[in-house]
Amino acid sequence: MSDPLLRLDDLKTYFHTDEAVVRAVDGVSYEVHAGETLAVVGESGSGKSVTALSILRLIPQPPGRIEGGRILFKGRDLVTASEAEMRRIRGAEISMIFQEPMTSLNPVFTCGEQIVEAVVLHERVDRRAARRRAIEMLELVGIPSAAQRADAYPHQLSGGMRQRVMIAMALACRPSVLIADEPTTALDVTIQAQILELLKRLQQEIGMAVILITHDLGVVAETADRVAVMYAGQVVEYCDVRSAFARPLHPYTAGLQASLPRLGETRESLRVIPGNVPNPAHFPDGCRFHPRCPVMIAPACLEPQTLRIIDDDHAARCIRADAIAAGTLDPAPPEQERVP
Amino acid sequence: MTDVIVRTPLVEVTDLRTWFPIRKGLFSRVVGHVKAVDGVSFTVDAGEVLGVVGESGCGKTTTGRSILRLIEPTSGSVKFDGQELVGLPRRDLQPLRRQMQIVFQDPYSSLNPRMSIGTALTEALTVHGLARGRQATHDRVEELLTLVGLSPSHAARYPHEFSGGQRQRIGVARALAVSPRLIVADEPVSALDVSIQAQIVNLLRDLQRRLHLTYIFVAHDLSVVEHISDRVAVMYLGRIVELAPSRALYRSPMHPYTVALLSAIPIPDPDRRRSRIVLGGDVPSPSNPPAGCRFHPRCYMAQAICRTDDPPLREVAPGHLSACHFAEQAMAMAPGKDGEATGWEETGRLGGTEP
Ligand SMILES: Nc1ncnc2c1ncn2[C@@H]1O[C@H](COP(=O)(O)OP(=O)(O)OP(=O)(O)O)[C@@H](O)[C@H]1O
Ligand SMILES: Nc1ncnc2c1ncn2[C@@H]1O[C@H](COP(=O)(O)OP(=O)(O)OP(=O)(O)O)[C@@H](O)[C@H]1O
Ligand SMILES: [Mg+2]
Ligand SMILES: [Mg+2]
Repeated sequence: MSDPLLRLDDLKTYFHTDEAVVRAVDGVSYEVHAGETLAVVGESGSGKSVTALSILRLIPQPPGRIEGGRILFKGRDLVTASEAEMRRIRGAEISMIFQEPMTSLNPVFTCGEQIVEAVVLHERVDRRAARRRAIEMLELVGIPSAAQRADAYPHQLSGGMRQRVMIAMALACRPSVLIADEPTTALDVTIQAQILELLKRLQQEIGMAVILITHDLGVVAETADRVAVMYAGQVVEYCDVRSAFARPLHPYTAGLQASLPRLGETRESLRVIPGNVPNPAHFPDGCRFHPRCPVMIAPACLEPQTLRIIDDDHAARCIRADAIAAGTLDPAPPEQERVP
Repeated sequence: MTDVIVRTPLVEVTDLRTWFPIRKGLFSRVVGHVKAVDGVSFTVDAGEVLGVVGESGCGKTTTGRSILRLIEPTSGSVKFDGQELVGLPRRDLQPLRRQMQIVFQDPYSSLNPRMSIGTALTEALTVHGLARGRQATHDRVEELLTLVGLSPSHAARYPHEFSGGQRQRIGVARALAVSPRLIVADEPVSALDVSIQAQIVNLLRDLQRRLHLTYIFVAHDLSVVEHISDRVAVMYLGRIVELAPSRALYRSPMHPYTVALLSAIPIPDPDRRRSRIVLGGDVPSPSNPPAGCRFHPRCYMAQAICRTDDPPLREVAPGHLSACHFAEQAMAMAPGKDGEATGWEETGRLGGTEP
């Protein structure tokens, strides 16, 4: 296979707050190839967005800091790149759809103006052409009466429209890597399907690589080539999309699948992964999932775990993954777990 | 048979309209209106969960906010526990505020960036006269954070120090803080991983049972909506087009928009695909809705009458309302691959797949 377009290698990003050091991203490695989609799923607060923001070097510093590791983009290490170089890359080569549109759209400019700015910043086009492009992009993402809506301010749009404005802006310069952080949470399923089609088309046309951060396992199943599952600042499972669904090897991934509400299934309460979400200022020692793990054994799981290849191309950060792979151990959480 | 259980609506919405003016030019002349909510009627019983789904931009958030008078409705009536809210003076509205809470769709913009989460929750309690001494308030704040799966130590942190899903849970905690009777939850779990989402949904259900809470639950995740709702309203372009008990809506949808929506739910299995109904035609604009049935330009079964006559929301089966001239055929006429039906006959519900 060709070289990956983007590769993270043991990335660490910490926040130094008054009380503690928050190890939000603590040794993350993953890669994505041209034309490919890597889905990043995992627990709320596990470091998915901070990883993405680190790639673009948008971590507020202080309190945040990239403490170690490398971010290789087309062979260059972005961790050490100059700010000027990052400005050239951001939006043009690597662009991002942010998780909360309102935090990244500027409330005092119209949506059209913001896309125009993004375009003229990176390309030699006049404003008139940029505006045409902006409207075209808004149409592509399914905004009704795009020419009129281009003059609307963010607060005049619905949640899903804002999200689509962000998508239009991120795609306007046809980036080679798109980081999409929960890009479709505010969209109904039919528009979501259209947006995912649009991304797929751009991937085919311009070989764009996509890092798709999402909680929607249905979306993962439909769009991803590979999957990275994150828990407590680390990747705990890394494999192709089929294996992730058919044969999860990490108990956290198995727990996620068990929690999924399924259409037509009438159960009193949904299954959850028991126990408490880890505090990133004080992760548990050893395997970070062990206090919640249904197949935890002492003392083995009290030792730190590494992400290791279990079979083929399928890696997991679990000492019991071999037994799970062999089918002799069921990693799903017990039934009947209720909220206290 | 007479219904012995007297069902009392907690919320009664009648012909609600909320229009936003479109202004142009130097003198900000009003050149038209975005008819975000354009004639919506429904009731929600005490202790009931009404799910609301629909196309992005169809007016769900505006409906929710208009009910709570966070946006002024243009016309229509909203009754809460029998009391008319539209036109009620602000000072008379204030005591009702505690009983009606909202979880905002965009958690970040609804949190004060300069206030720690603990302070924000304490303030919510204080404003409504629920802070009973320092220690009790402190304990209540910790209890709320734990309820939504955060740790008590999070109280000292500021909104920007949280992840998207953590902020969303803070929004839920703040709504629960003041023990309301009605919660309008606008996408309360969209940013959560499925395990925490399940935890929050279970929590909301538990509270609803224990405290007889009433929810209007807006969400795009149709399986979550099915799970939590007693009835579901489907909105399209400022109107309700279908309203039915949750089970009936998912099993036998009676509006072509609902049929299309259900067909587009992604299946969490890489080897299965639903045959999705792609809605053709231009996406309509709420400032200039199509004549006749608002859905007709994109409908797979539109007839001549649909271009001229606006179908009323009518009862097509007991408790099942649809605004379609041909509601009874909506499912049978759905296009599938190669012109076949979409393959939900075998299981009796949507879920037809193609290899
Ligand atoms: N500025 C900050 N200061 C301190 N801690 C922070 C800051 N920003 C993020 N964190 C913490 O870093 C951790 C990782 O956050 P991140 O936003 O990456 O989570 P996530 O995986 O994207 O979660 P979600 O799915 O909820 O969006 C969280 O515990 C969060 O509270
Ligand atoms: N303050 C405003 N000024 C002008 N138009 C507005 C305003 N707020 C909302 N709108 C418009 O009203 C319509 C309905 O918006 P609303 O936010 O209610 O949609 P929604 O159903 O919640 O959509 P989503 O699922 O995307 O959140 C949209 O066309 C939107 O652009
Ligand atoms: Mg995030
Ligand atoms: Mg909304």
